[in-house]
Amino acid sequence: MTTSKKTITRDEWEKRLNDVKIRKEDMNKLVMNFLVTEGYVEAAEKFRMESGTEPDIDLATISERMAVKKAVQCGNVEDAIEKVNDLNPEILDTNPQLFFHLQQQRLIELIRNGKIEEALEFAQEELAPRGEENQSFLEELERTVSLLAFEDVSNCPVGELLDISQRLKTASEVNAAILTSQSHEKDPKLPSLLKMLLWAQNQLDEKFDYPRINDLSSATLEDPAV
Amino acid sequence: MPSATAVNKHRPSELLSRLASDDPEVKVRALREVKNQIIGNPTKKLSFLKLGAVPAVAGILADSIDEVTNNNNCNSNTSNILVQSAAALGSFACGFDAGVQAVLDAGAFPNLLRLLANPNEKVADAGARALRMIYQSKLAPKYDFLQQKNMEFLISLLNSEKENVSGLGASIITRSCETSLEQKALFDAGILRKLNSLLGGGSLSQRDASLESLATIFRNNPEVISKFAGPEIGRPLSSIIDLVKDRHPRTRLLACMCLIVIRNASPHFLQDIGIKSKIIHILLELLDDPSQVGDEAPFAFSSLIAQKEDLQKLALEANAIDKLYHHLKKGSLHPRRYEGILLALADMCSKLESCRSKFLSLQVLNLVADALTDHNAGVRTAACVCLKNVTRSIKNLSAGYFMNEIIVIPLVQLFPDPSTSVQVAALGAVSNIMVDFTTRKSIFVQCGGMKQLVQLAKSMESAVRSNALWALKNFVFQADNRLKEGVFSELTASLLSSLISDPEPSVQEQALALVRNLVDGCINLIELVFAEDGLILGAIGRQLQCASKAEIGIQGMYALCNVASGNEFHKEAVIQQLFTQMGDKNQSFVIKFLQSNDCQLRTATVWTIVNLTCPSSPGAPGRLEKLRNAGIISQIKNMVNDPCVDVKLRVRTVLGQSMAFGDN
Repeated sequence: MTTSKKTITRDEWEKRLNDVKIRKEDMNKLVMNFLVTEGYVEAAEKFRMESGTEPDIDLATISERMAVKKAVQCGNVEDAIEKVNDLNPEILDTNPQLFFHLQQQRLIELIRNGKIEEALEFAQEELAPRGEENQSFLEELERTVSLLAFEDVSNCPVGELLDISQRLKTASEVNAAILTSQSHEKDPKLPSLLKMLLWAQNQLDEKFDYPRINDLSSATLEDPAV
Repeated sequence: MPSATAVNKHRPSELLSRLASDDPEVKVRALREVKNQIIGNPTKKLSFLKLGAVPAVAGILADSIDEVTNNNNCNSNTSNILVQSAAALGSFACGFDAGVQAVLDAGAFPNLLRLLANPNEKVADAGARALRMIYQSKLAPKYDFLQQKNMEFLISLLNSEKENVSGLGASIITRSCETSLEQKALFDAGILRKLNSLLGGGSLSQRDASLESLATIFRNNPEVISKFAGPEIGRPLSSIIDLVKDRHPRTRLLACMCLIVIRNASPHFLQDIGIKSKIIHILLELLDDPSQVGDEAPFAFSSLIAQKEDLQKLALEANAIDKLYHHLKKGSLHPRRYEGILLALADMCSKLESCRSKFLSLQVLNLVADALTDHNAGVRTAACVCLKNVTRSIKNLSAGYFMNEIIVIPLVQLFPDPSTSVQVAALGAVSNIMVDFTTRKSIFVQCGGMKQLVQLAKSMESAVRSNALWALKNFVFQADNRLKEGVFSELTASLLSSLISDPEPSVQEQALALVRNLVDGCINLIELVFAEDGLILGAIGRQLQCASKAEIGIQGMYALCNVASGNEFHKEAVIQQLFTQMGDKNQSFVIKFLQSNDCQLRTATVWTIVNLTCPSSPGAPGRLEKLRNAGIISQIKNMVNDPCVDVKLRVRTVLGQSMAFGDN
C-alpha cells in the first residue's frame, strides 16, 4: 500500500526553479573557492582575470602549498617537509600527528626503494621516540615496520601503506594543515552544497514525485514516474 | 634520495661546526638544516640544545643584526640568515621550556625584537613568530605595561596588519597581564577596543588571540568589565557571545572561557538562563572534539560550575553527568582530558545530592575507581577528588555504600603515593568514607589502612599530616572501644602530643579533634590522655594557652570537656590544666574563650565548666571556688543573655549548679 504522493510535473518544477534568483557573483565565488582550495593556481588566476572575482586568499601562497602537496604525492617527503617549514615553521611544530605521518611516509618511501638499513636507522632514530610518547603512533609505527617482514609486500596485510593512496592521504593532510594555518577553510564549499541538495531531495521524496537530479555531474532533471 | 653516508652528514655535531663557517651560504644551509631537523621533533631539540646549538644560533643572529645596523642595509644573504636563525630559535622555544630558557639565556630576546622593525617582511615575520613562541611559555620575560613606551609599542604591535605581529601583541597581554592595575592601564590605553574590533574584523587566529587576551584583562576585574560592556561602547559582549556559535571549535571554546571569566568576576552579567544553558551545551559538545580543544573543554566546564549550585542544576538538566560518563567510558583518554572529565564530575557532585544520585545510578563509580591506578598523578588526584565529593552523600554513607574493597583498597594504596596532591586527595576521600555508621570499619584496619594513616601523620608535608589526622578523627568517631584503642596504640601518646603541638595550626586542630573523638563516650578511654605522665593532657593545655585560631580552641575545649565528664580524678586534672598554663599571664585562656566572638568556642568552654561543677562530684565545690577566684563565674554571669541559645542554656546550668553550693 503506497501513500499517495503529490506529483509535480516538469513544467511546474521548471517554473518554480525559474522563480528562484541566484546571483552570478555567488556562483563565481563558489567556483573561485573550489579552485583555490583544491590548489588550481593557474585556473584561479585566469578565472580571476576573466570574471573579476577576487580570491579570498593570496594566490602566491597557493603555489607554495601546491608544491608541498606535489612533493608528497611524488614521494619526495623530505623536500615537502623543508618546503612546509619555509612556508610556516609552526605547522609541523604544533601538529604532532601530521609530523608523524610525514615521517612515516618517509619511512615507507625508504622501504619502497629497498633501502632497508637506512629505513631501520630512520625508524629507530626519528620515529621510535615519537612512538614512546604516544600509543597510537607506536601502533602505526609497528604496522609500518612490519612491511619489512614480508617477502611479497603487495599481498601482505599492511600492503596498503605502499599504495599510492597512502601518499595521497598524507598529501591531503598536509594540504589541510597549511590551509588551516592560513585561516582558510580546508574544504571547498561546493561538496557541501551538493550534499545539501541530495539531502533535500531525500526529504522531499517522502512527500512528492518531482523531477530529480540523479546524476550530479550532469545535473539533468529526470522526469518523475507517471 | 639520501644515501647512508648522506644521513651521517646531518649528524648534529657536524652541523654545528658548519654553523661556524665564514661562508654565508654554508652558514645559511646549515641553519636551515638545523631548523628542519628540530621542527616537530622534541628529541632532536633536546640533543641540539645539549650540544650548545642555541647560543651558536643566537650568536649568528646577533652578528647579522650588527651587520645590518653597521651597513644600514640588508642584502639577501643576510636576510636569509636572519630568517633561518629566527625560525630555528622560534622552534627551540616552541612548546619546549628548556628551549625557551636557552634562547633567553643566550640573549636572543632583544635581537628578536629588533627584527620586528626590519623592512623585509619575511624577516619581521620570522622575528614575530619566534617571539610569539617565547610568550606562550611561562618563562617569558615579564612585560611592564605600566611604562608608557612599552604600552605604545604594544599598541603598534596590535595595530599591525600582519597576523604574527598582532598575534604577538595579544600573546604578550595573555602571558604578562596579571594585576588589576595592569588591566586598568590596558583599558585606559584603548587596547580593549582594539581587541574587540579584531573579534569582528580579524582573521581566525586574530580572533582567537583576542579572546584569550580579553579574558586575561577581564579576569577578576568587575570594574574593567563593566566599563567595557557599558552602553556607550555599543554592545561588546554580543561580539563575544556570537563567537560562542562559531564554526571553529577552538574559537567556541575560547569564547566560552571568556564569558565564564566575565561571569565569575561579575555575576550580574550573563544572567539570562538561555546563555548559561548555551555555554553548558557547547562545552559538553566540545568534548567530542579529538584535539586539544576537547582536552581543555572539561576544565572550562569546571570553571563555569564550580561552587555554583544553580549552574550545577542547569548542567544536570542538560545531562552533563551522562555525557561526561559517556566520554569516560571510551577509554584510552589523553591524560589531560581524563583528568578534566574526572574533575568536571567532581565539581558536579560537590554540592547537590541530585547530582550524586545520578552519578551513582549510572555506575560511574567503578570507572572512577579504575582511574585511581592510572599512571598519571593528575588523573589519580582527580579521581580521588571525585570520590571525595561523591562520598559527601550522607544517604549513601549511612547505607555503607562506599565501605567496600573496590573503593577502600585502591584509596589506601594511594597513601604512599610519591605525589603529595594525590595523598591529600586520597585522604580527603577516605575521611568521608570513614563517616560510616555500619560496623564494617574493620575492612579499613584489615587492609592496613589505619597503620598507614598513622604513618602519614608523620609526613613532612603539613597538608598530609592534617588530612591524615582528619581521616583518623572520622575513623574513631563513635567507633567501638577496641577500634579506638587500636588506633591509640598505633599512634602512641608521644606522637599525638607532638602533633597537638605541631607548628601548623591546621594540624593542631585536627590532632585535638582526634583526641576529642577518642575520649568521647567511654570513661575508660579518658585514661588515654593520662598515658605517659599525662603527655597529651599537658599538650592540650599548652596549646589552648596559645591557640592561634578559634577552631583550635573549640576542639581543645571539647577534648577537655570530654575528659571532664569522667571521674573525680579526671575533673581535677582538667581544672589544673585550666590554671597551670597561665604563667605570667594573669588571665586564664578560659576568660578569653568565654569572651570570644565565636559562639561555638563559648559553648565548648561553658560546657567544660558545666562538667567541672556538676554537683554529684565531691570535689565540685573546691573547683567552683577556684573558678570563682579566677573571675570565671562572674564572666559567666555576664553571659546570661548570650545571643547564642546553646551558650545561654549551658550558662544557666552552670549558674544553677553554682547556686547549689550556696554562695552566689
